Amino acid sequence: MTLPYALSRLLIYLVLSVGAIAMAFPFYWMLATSLKSPQEAQQARPIWVPERLKPANWRVAAQLGAAGGSPLWGGYQNGRSVTLRIFTDRMGPEPQVFIPTAVGAFSDPRAEGTQIRTRYQEDHWEITFTNASGESFRLLPAVVLLSKSYPSYRPELPPDAVRSSGDDWRLEWVNLAPGALGYVFHNYREAWLAAPFGRYFFNSFFTAGTQVLVGLLLAAMAAFALARIEFPGKNLVWLVILATLMIPGEVLLIPNYILLSRLEWINTYYALVVPWLASVFGIFLLRQFYLSLPRDLFDAARIDGASYWTQLVRIALPLSIPGLVTYGIFTFLGAYNALLWPLIVTDRPEMYTIQRGLQVFIGEAGSDYGALMAASTLAILPIVLGYFLAQRQFIQGVARSGIK
Amino acid sequence: MTVLLILVRLAVMLELLPHWAYGLGAALLVGTTLEAILRTFRPALLPGLILLLAGIGLGYNLAPAVVLALVGVGALYWAWAPQMSEREQASFWGWLLVWPAVGLLLVWQIIPSLYALWLSFLDRFNFIGQSRFAGLLNYEILLTRDPLFWKAMGNTFWFVIFTVPLGILLATLVAILLNERVRLLGFFRTLYFLPYITALTAAAAVWDWIYHPEFGFLNWVLGTPGLDWLSTPQGIFALALAPLGLELRGFWAGPSVAFVAIMVMSLWHLLGYQVVVILAGLQNIPKEYYEAAQLDGASWWQQQRYITWPLLSPTTFFLSTLGLIGAFQVFTQVLIMTPTGGVLQDTLTITLYLYNKGFRDSDFSYASAIAVVVFIVILALTVAQQRILERRVTYET
Repeated sequence: MTLPYALSRLLIYLVLSVGAIAMAFPFYWMLATSLKSPQEAQQARPIWVPERLKPANWRVAAQLGAAGGSPLWGGYQNGRSVTLRIFTDRMGPEPQVFIPTAVGAFSDPRAEGTQIRTRYQEDHWEITFTNASGESFRLLPAVVLLSKSYPSYRPELPPDAVRSSGDDWRLEWVNLAPGALGYVFHNYREAWLAAPFGRYFFNSFFTAGTQVLVGLLLAAMAAFALARIEFPGKNLVWLVILATLMIPGEVLLIPNYILLSRLEWINTYYALVVPWLASVFGIFLLRQFYLSLPRDLFDAARIDGASYWTQLVRIALPLSIPGLVTYGIFTFLGAYNALLWPLIVTDRPEMYTIQRGLQVFIGEAGSDYGALMAASTLAILPIVLGYFLAQRQFIQGVARSGIK
Repeated sequence: MTVLLILVRLAVMLELLPHWAYGLGAALLVGTTLEAILRTFRPALLPGLILLLAGIGLGYNLAPAVVLALVGVGALYWAWAPQMSEREQASFWGWLLVWPAVGLLLVWQIIPSLYALWLSFLDRFNFIGQSRFAGLLNYEILLTRDPLFWKAMGNTFWFVIFTVPLGILLATLVAILLNERVRLLGFFRTLYFLPYITALTAAAAVWDWIYHPEFGFLNWVLGTPGLDWLSTPQGIFALALAPLGLELRGFWAGPSVAFVAIMVMSLWHLLGYQVVVILAGLQNIPKEYYEAAQLDGASWWQQQRYITWPLLSPTTFFLSTLGLIGAFQVFTQVLIMTPTGGVLQDTLTITLYLYNKGFRDSDFSYASAIAVVVFIVILALTVAQQRILERRVTYET
């Protein structure tokens, strides 16, 4: 239309975009860091695109991985040889190559069983690692000391760290036979193997799922009774529920913990689920829903001889699916994302939920930010995926909670 | 019925002291129940009461009792159903459907709250050793001699002051812009909402990394290498006014830099939720109002000021109440970003303090006293808020 109009539109988009970038940036940063090597992560100037995200490197990683094991996940299997090429313009001092020994280990079987051969070909050094140890390994870490007298050098696979060491450059690889996926998702794999994340995920899904399914049933039953059935004592029940509404969560931490430990339920699924099965929020929400359904519907069913149970299952539940979904999403989110309660009632790793496991992992990982961000990404991944699949339900559900 | 409830509560209280008393309490309960039924002679109440008991039993993992009760009720119903009157049916089904939820609420919420109140009167209750009744001692220490509690309260206060108005204002701005028939509405909404659904544990880990003193992104952006955001206990007001020669101390120094960093993160986390709720509120405002205003020549700003803002007030009121209660529950991000509560406990929040007292120092009574005080404060604040703010809320009629 007019210029001021176009200008105002532009301004709207500008403000919204700036906000959106601010909102999304931490996610990008988490993802980017999770794909970085420690040296890349710990730069004073941030690296926007990590080496592991560059397709040219994937090809090399796949080749190296195929030589040592599989092109996808790599490996360093018995009898295989992995050859790394380092391009230099001319021949110079021979690089020294070795396999770093784990700190505190008296010997490293990998280092002992590996035959390392270096030779110069046309324009590059060829370093061949041959596994003669009789065992197979997941990773092949390597260190190459290359003289600083070379004006330039380019290893086939970019090193994870380059350090200065006297007259040499010390090039370090955490894994020389990574395979394409093993290269890109190195941090994810290491984080996954560093703690029983599979178990954590199972615990989280199991407890959150139980809480949703049983909680939905209980809340729907109670809400239906409160909305549609006249029974003696109903006011009292309603009073109990209203009173519960006032209780803030902090008040319950201590007494419920004491109760659970008296029941010897600490470190069990009961402790994670049972205290939060009945939810006043769910009862309120669904009761509101059932009150809004036309009364005639139920009266007609009653005349046809349907029992209250049939009315609930056949009429009320199917009609209240949006409400059930809202409540289900909220409960699942709350249970899956909770840290405080799992922190209190579990202290054994096999009972940790994912958030509790992540919290412990954060304490242990120290400065390995790549692994830390990889673990964080894993922890939020299921919810984010679910969110992208069922955005409408998520957002409408939340919006519905606001208008009442 | 009320008498019954009190008895149940007493039984449970006793159960938590000596064990055998629960049986006695239960027996008493059943006895009084039966007596009440015989007295009032309303047989339809019987299954309801059995079910209520079963619900309580379920809460305490008395599986056999629950199964027995259910079987009993089933048998009763089966034998009884044909001759049940309409009213009896209603009361039977009403109780049958309501009992599990109510039983669980009683066992895990109502009774524990009262138990917390009782605990707060004891002297250093933990699992070791005998504790004795100490009256209001815990409260006296808490309110008059505990600087950490007041530190945590002060932090909660700043949290409310900083995040609630700012969050609502920002969210309203974003929501109004999104409501201007923006293309890519879905895209923007998705992005803004994303932080809210991510777990605070992971989000706090990311922000911790962003705030990193040496390699953090924020220090690179701001050009302040080495600034350790999360270990800076100086209050922001004190820092801001220091060049003027003013020296602010204690509460008036304001929230510490570290706590402000945590508040920014919390704001980021909650903003999407507020945007979505406000957007829903905006879409409830009839378009005709704006059309009428435009005919009268009202500017864009006037429309927002005199139509949007007042008609949005129920929503903003709801969000501010939520923000107030939420401030008392800030825990996860503080634990992850400053596990010990920060330098000089400058990022201590109420829930973290409660957690430390209860589960690190094993002083359940003192922690319960904190919880009770929080309960009272929240109650008082929400009531006050309703009284003061709600008068200014415009509800559409």
